[in-house]
Amino acid sequence: MQRALQQRALAAALAALLGFISACGSGTGDQNDANKQVTIRFDWWGNADRAEITEKAIDLFESKNPNIKVETSFAEFNAYFQKLATQIAGGGAPDMLQMDYRYVREYADRNVLAQLDSGAAKVDTSGVTQQLLSGGSVNGKLYGIPPTQNTQVFSYDFKQWETSAAAAPKDGWSWNDLKASAQKVTDSTQGKVKGLGDFGGIEDWFEVWLRQQGKNLYNEGKIAYTAADVAKWWEMTDGMRRSGAVTQAELTTKMDGSDANNPVTQKLASGGFGYDSGFTAKSWEIAGREFKLSPFPSDTGKLGQYAKPAMMFSISQRSEHKAEAAKLINFLINDPEAGKILGMSRGLPANAKVRDSVGGALTGPPLVAFQFEQMVGPKLEPAPPPPPKGAGTVKSTFQRIYDDVIFQRSTIQAAADKFMSEAQKAITS
Amino acid sequence: MRERPGWAYLFLSPWVLGVLLLTLGPMAASLYLSFTDYDLFSTPNWVGLQNYRNLFTDDERFLTSVWVTVKYVLLSTPLKLAAALAVAVLLNRDSMAQGFYRSAFYAPSLLGASVAVALSWRVIFNAWVSNPSYSLLTLVALAVWQFGAPMVIFLAGLKQIPQELYDASSVDGAGAWRTFRSVTLPMLSPVIFFNLVLETIHAFQAFTGVFVISGGRGGPIDSTLFYTLYLYQKGFTEFRMGYASAMAWVLVLVVALITAVLFRTARAWVFYIGDER
Repeated sequence: MQRALQQRALAAALAALLGFISACGSGTGDQNDANKQVTIRFDWWGNADRAEITEKAIDLFESKNPNIKVETSFAEFNAYFQKLATQIAGGGAPDMLQMDYRYVREYADRNVLAQLDSGAAKVDTSGVTQQLLSGGSVNGKLYGIPPTQNTQVFSYDFKQWETSAAAAPKDGWSWNDLKASAQKVTDSTQGKVKGLGDFGGIEDWFEVWLRQQGKNLYNEGKIAYTAADVAKWWEMTDGMRRSGAVTQAELTTKMDGSDANNPVTQKLASGGFGYDSGFTAKSWEIAGREFKLSPFPSDTGKLGQYAKPAMMFSISQRSEHKAEAAKLINFLINDPEAGKILGMSRGLPANAKVRDSVGGALTGPPLVAFQFEQMVGPKLEPAPPPPPKGAGTVKSTFQRIYDDVIFQRSTIQAAADKFMSEAQKAITS
Repeated sequence: MRERPGWAYLFLSPWVLGVLLLTLGPMAASLYLSFTDYDLFSTPNWVGLQNYRNLFTDDERFLTSVWVTVKYVLLSTPLKLAAALAVAVLLNRDSMAQGFYRSAFYAPSLLGASVAVALSWRVIFNAWVSNPSYSLLTLVALAVWQFGAPMVIFLAGLKQIPQELYDASSVDGAGAWRTFRSVTLPMLSPVIFFNLVLETIHAFQAFTGVFVISGGRGGPIDSTLFYTLYLYQKGFTEFRMGYASAMAWVLVLVVALITAVLFRTARAWVFYIGDER
């Protein structure tokens, strides 16, 4: 009797424990009734400035859709993608997420993104230009919808340039013009402010330079440039480092895309390359001065810049609320009121109608970015197809091995060869 | 009593479940994954020993990370233990402020794993962190500064040494240094051994500090590419989790081997009261 009781107690306790454990794992699995209260998660990358604006737009969405509650979370670009990978692997992906052009194939190929041109997650994309949409298409299926476009830009502290008597960028300026002006800034400030942040390690700017020569980063999933191209690019930027026109190695190696480690924001450099979507309302306040924007310099008469999907909205394949997430995407890209709130905070709106209504309401950096897009727009080429799997690793490898050059640990040719062999491995494995 | 094992199992069950689900299960899974091409999202495919082969024959950065980690372990462990022992000896006397100093010296270890400390370290050592000749040394300094945990254990060990031995040595006319070498060190050797094993293992597993200080990159020019950091990069930024799992198992084997070697050498220098030596 006693023994049986004990066994029953034991069984009950174990069952309770197991029940507890399985409850921890399964999460909430509710049905999609039209009126049922639903909570969706939306994760994205960006800064606090963008967060404030995004929250405002989401508040409006929630008031129009009282049955949907949106939980958001954001981080800086690198941290965001590290977290996203872990979440998806662990089955805890957000319903709606921000996806990058460079990673969309990586994720779509692994079947973790929902198709957005048919099925439960279908979104109305009629207002978005086909050129931009193709940036989110993998094998003919749509996995990411760009809410905005951006493009590469050169920005500089024009007051500093005037003080230093550095020639301002003008139509058809060359890489040598850039070097000369940067050198002027360094010389006139006795090196306290360098002309530019060293941009040699950033694959994005290398890409524009390649395209100016009619080449590309990738062609049909393969690397489309050679070690000689890399060496030539690094010869140019390393020359600027040696003459002092760009930042020294100790500063350059810290550049990670954050404001805190950006020599321009720290007033240690007077200009650099970037994307025009970075000109959010408070960006000049953060940098403590104003900037002017210019297209890239070029030696070939070809600009090389393209209209890039600034980012994409995607829906997780495993989301239980695809329809609601699709509704939110639809709202953020197509609703004129949402467009007015979001303005240029993620770049130039992809929806032409929203775009036209945005311009008038802008001031400060977003207005300058908007005007830049209007000016450079006709010269932009369409974006190349999304890069192959492993492209993210190639980008970080490019920056890592450039450190070998600036710390003078190897010759430029040896560094370029090393980079090529690692890059090939990253793409094929 | 003996025929009532049921209750024992019941009380054991939280621990057993914890070990099975949170330790042995994941370990077995990672052992399996180390023989696959698992990429975090897709179904893993069996690739046999390929990950292990590639590690040693086709991955320069792996060898770099091993070398960086070995340098770090060899520098940080002895320095940290020496600092801990020195401070413990100084604190092992009765004084009013002793409690305060003990807490003050222990505090960095409590904060040690925190991101905040690593962030402030990055600011304080701003100029050195981004110089490849000194970057690793700043991380060694961070480790040494966090000597509180072994210090507390040393203090406990010092309190255990019988006062008679000190009385006897002072009767014999031994000075402070002689007493330290002939009484304190041998009597403390089991505690030194314990701390040595523990801190060596910790040093191999160091991650948080370098992750924060180098922004997850192990730079500049891989000068702080710790083994664990490279493992993390492979697994979570390159999605090569099978490869990362193989790295984890190589680390487990190496740490086990080194611990075994330490236990071997212990016979020569660790003294236990009651030993026939």
